[in-house]
Amino acid sequence: MSQTAANRSFIAVIGDEDTVTGLLLAGTGHLTEDKKKNFLVVDNKSSVDDIEAAFDDFTATRKDIAVLLINQHIAEKIRYKLDGYTNAFPAVLEIPSKDHPYDPEKDSVLRRVRRLFGE
Amino acid sequence: MEGVFFNNDNGYIEGIVRGYRSALLTGANYANLTQCDTLEDLKLQLSATDYGNFLANVPGSLSTSIIAEKANEKLIEEFRYIQKQAVQPLSKFMDFITYAYMIDNVALLITGTLHERDTHELLERCNPLGWFESLPALCVATNVEELYNTVLIDTPLAPYFKDCLSAADLDDLNIEIIRNTLYRAYLEDFYAFCKNLPNPSNEIMAALLDFEGDRRVINISLNSFGTEITREERLQLAPKFGKLYPQGTEALASADDIEQVRMTVEAVGDYKGFFDTSNNKSLEDHFYLREMELCRNAFTQQFTYSAIWAWIKAKEQEIRNITWIAECIAQNQKERIQNYISVF
Amino acid sequence: MSGAANREAVFPTRMTLTLMKGKLKGATVGHSLLKRKSEALTGRFREITRRIDEAKRKMGRVMQVAAFSLAEVTYATGDSIGYQVQESAKSARFRVRAKQENVSGVMLPAFEAYYNEENNDFKLTGLGRGGQQVQKAKEVYSKAVETLIELASLQTAFVILDEVIKVTNRRVNAIEHVIIPRTENTIKYINNELDELEREEFYRLKKVQDKKQRDAAALDAEMAATKAAQAALEAEEGLTASALSAPEDLTADHDEDIIF
Repeated sequence: MSQTAANRSFIAVIGDEDTVTGLLLAGTGHLTEDKKKNFLVVDNKSSVDDIEAAFDDFTATRKDIAVLLINQHIAEKIRYKLDGYTNAFPAVLEIPSKDHPYDPEKDSVLRRVRRLFGE
Repeated sequence: MEGVFFNNDNGYIEGIVRGYRSALLTGANYANLTQCDTLEDLKLQLSATDYGNFLANVPGSLSTSIIAEKANEKLIEEFRYIQKQAVQPLSKFMDFITYAYMIDNVALLITGTLHERDTHELLERCNPLGWFESLPALCVATNVEELYNTVLIDTPLAPYFKDCLSAADLDDLNIEIIRNTLYRAYLEDFYAFCKNLPNPSNEIMAALLDFEGDRRVINISLNSFGTEITREERLQLAPKFGKLYPQGTEALASADDIEQVRMTVEAVGDYKGFFDTSNNKSLEDHFYLREMELCRNAFTQQFTYSAIWAWIKAKEQEIRNITWIAECIAQNQKERIQNYISVF
Repeated sequence: MSGAANREAVFPTRMTLTLMKGKLKGATVGHSLLKRKSEALTGRFREITRRIDEAKRKMGRVMQVAAFSLAEVTYATGDSIGYQVQESAKSARFRVRAKQENVSGVMLPAFEAYYNEENNDFKLTGLGRGGQQVQKAKEVYSKAVETLIELASLQTAFVILDEVIKVTNRRVNAIEHVIIPRTENTIKYINNELDELEREEFYRLKKVQDKKQRDAAALDAEMAATKAAQAALEAEEGLTASALSAPEDLTADHDEDIIF
């Protein structure tokens, strides 16, 4: 387990423009040697396929991502993928966006918390 | 005497601009806007102003970015209308106003080209005020060399490029330096142009541009602390006019902490209060306040082109204000909502 | 009861019995240990879930403040810096390091944020305008991301603990409901078998003794009969040689007297 965690040092983002801009300002953005980004800006032109592809890329293909941040309203579009995702690495975290406040009811992990405690 | 002939060519436009100016939101309007609890309320309040039902055709729920976008569209529409009516030298004057936006657009496209992005989708991001005919042609260029040699030469910004930058610079220099170098060249050119306008346009524009230049110098100085920008580079980016020029500019270029900047800036009487943060106002707020004051004063003179510049700036401030208020409402940060600057 | 079937396939010997007893003891100790571990982990788990819940709510506020600082940038620069920022991003300044924390023998990862101060892709962003706000937004967002990283650590711990607790509980349950009853059954079975064997042995011994006695009796009877026959024969013969075997006769008579 330590093996898989050791090389993960980047924070990936899937979010709307403002969220991505903010997180990039914090310094999370990174280009790999072959110019692959670790962030995806989702606007109303982005298709669900794009989001899924990015999600799979960040969670399965790439081994250098430690945390994947995803806007909750975008997570909603690929909810089934998040519900089925149970790996510890990378950690997938749903975050609020400017126009969509955070709703704990929708969060895949919190839903599991509640299920576990039988609520 | 000027006034007699001014109206020959420009009377209509000045009339229109003054009409636009009285349509700007007033303090009472802003007071109403800040009382809104939702963006829908805001839309309702705005519909009672000159904005009318500019948000009527927006599908789905409102967001701040949509409001800002629509408000901008309105500004552009109005600007285009007077631009079409303008004759020389006013039309040239208005072209100059658009150059500032062109610089931003070109900088955007250069960034895209440098990173080998699909530049076509960048066109949508360009500010329509800075649109020029050969702008889409910039997208054809696939590398920087090509961009410089074949395309940029055909743009209205060509002289600025030619004088300040080489093709290699585009590759090496940070895009921000390119942008600011162009901007400096543009401001100096505009300044020289305004000098030759009939009185009182030249005087008022000189005052407005002086401030614009000084603001950039101060900002560049402040923002280059701790970066690799050298003193010479800073001097390069500073326009050669303004109240700070030349000693102040020189001092700002070599300043390396905020205190030095402050000493230099406060030596100019008009800029004394800029670093006063007691009333929760940032330097940027002070700049905007000062700019709006100058714009307001610009309207007190008749027969001048500067009214157009003042109107554009005031209108932009108004859009920023509305966006700000909308943002405060949307994000429930009411305590900061009073941070707008009411011009009239 | 399934008792007969629910046992291990062993030969019911004393050695296996000792083995099984040892196994039962081991299982009981293991059970109580695992139970304790599971309780410790569950305690930790509950704490973490509570903290996740809290942190997720806090995150909402933090991100809102951060988003607002971006609004200030927009206000100061007059247009969106989004694209420029996306294109300027080259090398991450903000990175995380995974470290391990040992909770009741489970390695829980925790992310630790660190800054690579050499990388600063946005030093010049907003150079001519709004640079101050950009720097401020940068700081606010850095703080926000730190909070997010903390939350991510909690969440990863949650996922791993969840898995470990499930496994531990499965083991506890397996020991409690399968291994212990089965071992007990096996012991019972061995005991039964051994008892059975003992009884069989006893019965066999008894039978053997019985048979031995019967055999002995039969032998005696036979011998007696032979003797009697002999005696009769001797008596017959004695008539002829009674003078010779007189003393013998006497003892023989005497003997017979004792036996009967």
